[in-house]
Amino acid sequence: MAATAINILEVSKVYNPGSHQALKALDSVSLAIHDNEFFTLLGPSGCGKTTLLRLIAGFEQVTGGEILLFEQGIENLEPSQRPVNTVFQHYALFPHMTVAQNVAFGLERLKKPKDEIVNTVNRVLALVKLTELADRRPNQMSGGQQQRVALARALAPSPKVLLLDEPLSALDLKLRQAMREELKQLQRETGITFVFVTHDQAEALAMSDRIAVMSNGEIQQIGSPTDIYEHPVNRFVADFIGDTNFIDAEIISIKDDLVSCRIGENTVFEAEDSGNHRVGDRVTLFLRPEKITLVADAQMVNGESHRGSVTNIVYLGNQALLTVDLGSGIELTAQSRPREDGNLPFAMGDSLFVEFSKRALRVLAE
Amino acid sequence: MSSWLPTNPSSRRWLGLAPTYLVIGIFMLFPMIIMGTYSFMEANPYGGVKPVFSTAAYIQLAWEYDLDNTLIFNPGYLKIIWRSIELSVMATVICLIFGFPVAYYITLQPENRRNFYIYLITIPFWTNLLIRTFAWIIILGRNGVIELPLLSLGIIEKSLGMMYSDGAIAIGLTYSYLPLMVLPIYASLEKLDFRLLEAASDLYASRLAIMTKIVIPLSKPGIIAGCILVFIPCLGAFIAPNLLGGGKKLMLGSLVQFQFASARNWPFGSALSMLMLAVVVIVLILYARGAKKSTAGEKATES
Repeated sequence: MAATAINILEVSKVYNPGSHQALKALDSVSLAIHDNEFFTLLGPSGCGKTTLLRLIAGFEQVTGGEILLFEQGIENLEPSQRPVNTVFQHYALFPHMTVAQNVAFGLERLKKPKDEIVNTVNRVLALVKLTELADRRPNQMSGGQQQRVALARALAPSPKVLLLDEPLSALDLKLRQAMREELKQLQRETGITFVFVTHDQAEALAMSDRIAVMSNGEIQQIGSPTDIYEHPVNRFVADFIGDTNFIDAEIISIKDDLVSCRIGENTVFEAEDSGNHRVGDRVTLFLRPEKITLVADAQMVNGESHRGSVTNIVYLGNQALLTVDLGSGIELTAQSRPREDGNLPFAMGDSLFVEFSKRALRVLAE
Repeated sequence: MSSWLPTNPSSRRWLGLAPTYLVIGIFMLFPMIIMGTYSFMEANPYGGVKPVFSTAAYIQLAWEYDLDNTLIFNPGYLKIIWRSIELSVMATVICLIFGFPVAYYITLQPENRRNFYIYLITIPFWTNLLIRTFAWIIILGRNGVIELPLLSLGIIEKSLGMMYSDGAIAIGLTYSYLPLMVLPIYASLEKLDFRLLEAASDLYASRLAIMTKIVIPLSKPGIIAGCILVFIPCLGAFIAPNLLGGGKKLMLGSLVQFQFASARNWPFGSALSMLMLAVVVIVLILYARGAKKSTAGEKATES
């Protein structure tokens, strides 16, 4: 087990405490971030993820609890005394300095020798591929370039932990995707612990070693990207990450980790259950659209196969999302790939079979 | 469309700008031409000028006629001019030292309170400068607000002589023009992105380093504008030097005023004014150069 870089112990944060504008941003959050880890705080805006980052950086003070950085309390340290650096959402580059001066800023404050500063600045600028632009001013550069400067500036003092506050949100899609790979690679090369804040689930899944999904100032689930995607603990996590079908059901029988669930009046599905549910419990089933196979004639032998009709089609290019009505009030969204000629195999109103394996349908723990 | 209006666009543009040119011509250029002309004429002992060409006024700036009509160097007036510049620089520096923290403090206030503070800063402008300067006589003077308690408590034994000194003039000037320093600095600090300060502190900058490396460089345009707005009126000020300097400690402004009012030497007063104008223009040219440099930098950065 890797060493713990940041230990967050029951941390609470209330803005304007005591006043009528008091706002609870974090509610007794605990989590441990390992050394050399790419850790992502994921959640919708207002969930407290940026607050948590600002508490680690020292821009805000905790209302309760404690934050340990490599096993040391940092409560009494100013931001300037903490061995962490931040990449800000809007970069916050110093407009009156060149790129090289921006990158050298932290090193100069640390009173490093001149030649070491020059070497480090050159090395870091090479790392983010900005060597040629060292003498430019920040506002002479594109958003993507400014992003790299911000990254270089935060990396130059070799922090123990790098905090990234939605650094990609201001970039356009293509650039964002390219930067994802670069960030991940940079993290691997430098071995620095990255704490990455984002509301973009695709970003989180693509880059992270582990993800903490947050909502309303609380952590909903911590786990690897596969964990979070495949085994969400509750409806919020399942809904926030990817597209999902939710089905309300009642458990009628249990056999090992497979349960039979009644949906509506007379439909029965079999689903995997990792939680401790009992017969008669009302539960939520979830099913990812890509796990559903749509076929014209029933084929499935060992699984679920249900007749339905197409009621809506959303075309996305490489795939389409079809809404299928199974009758008795059940609607499922399923993925369908276009055929080689580019046409979709099904049209509105078509009758078809919806098939999925038993293990694809899961009962949410909560 | 009336037919008497010019039809081609460039003439029409001139017509539109005509009121501006008229105002500038009448209220700025014309008085300056009169002043320039008077400075090259002979003084009329009863006031006004004699319409005779003469360079006597300019010669008088630095020389005087000996009994045998030879010119000898007399730095008396030049000393006054130099003193004026010194005192104005001193007042400007003091204004900056006091004005910057005030402007910074106002910037840190919640937005709805800032306007109130700005309003407070401008309140002194609502009363006459003369009266406000008289108030300083009461504060600084012999047996004044400062001296009297010290004397009666036996902390000092005789008057400190604060009045009628360079220090008194500098205090008076600082007091008069402090708002002119605060307002432009506030204007540029208000636009400061405070996230930059967070970024700096994240990068190990101490409070002092944040101030010297981030806040001051980014509010430089306001600081320069404030310095110019304070320095120039200080140079021409005559109320503070006359009242607080006791008239013995002359400054350029009071010297000019003296030439027109008491000494009845209008050409010499005009020549002094022209010299002052020259000093101001030089300062402004230096500023314009600096501004051009920095805007050229910004222009390049915007593209």
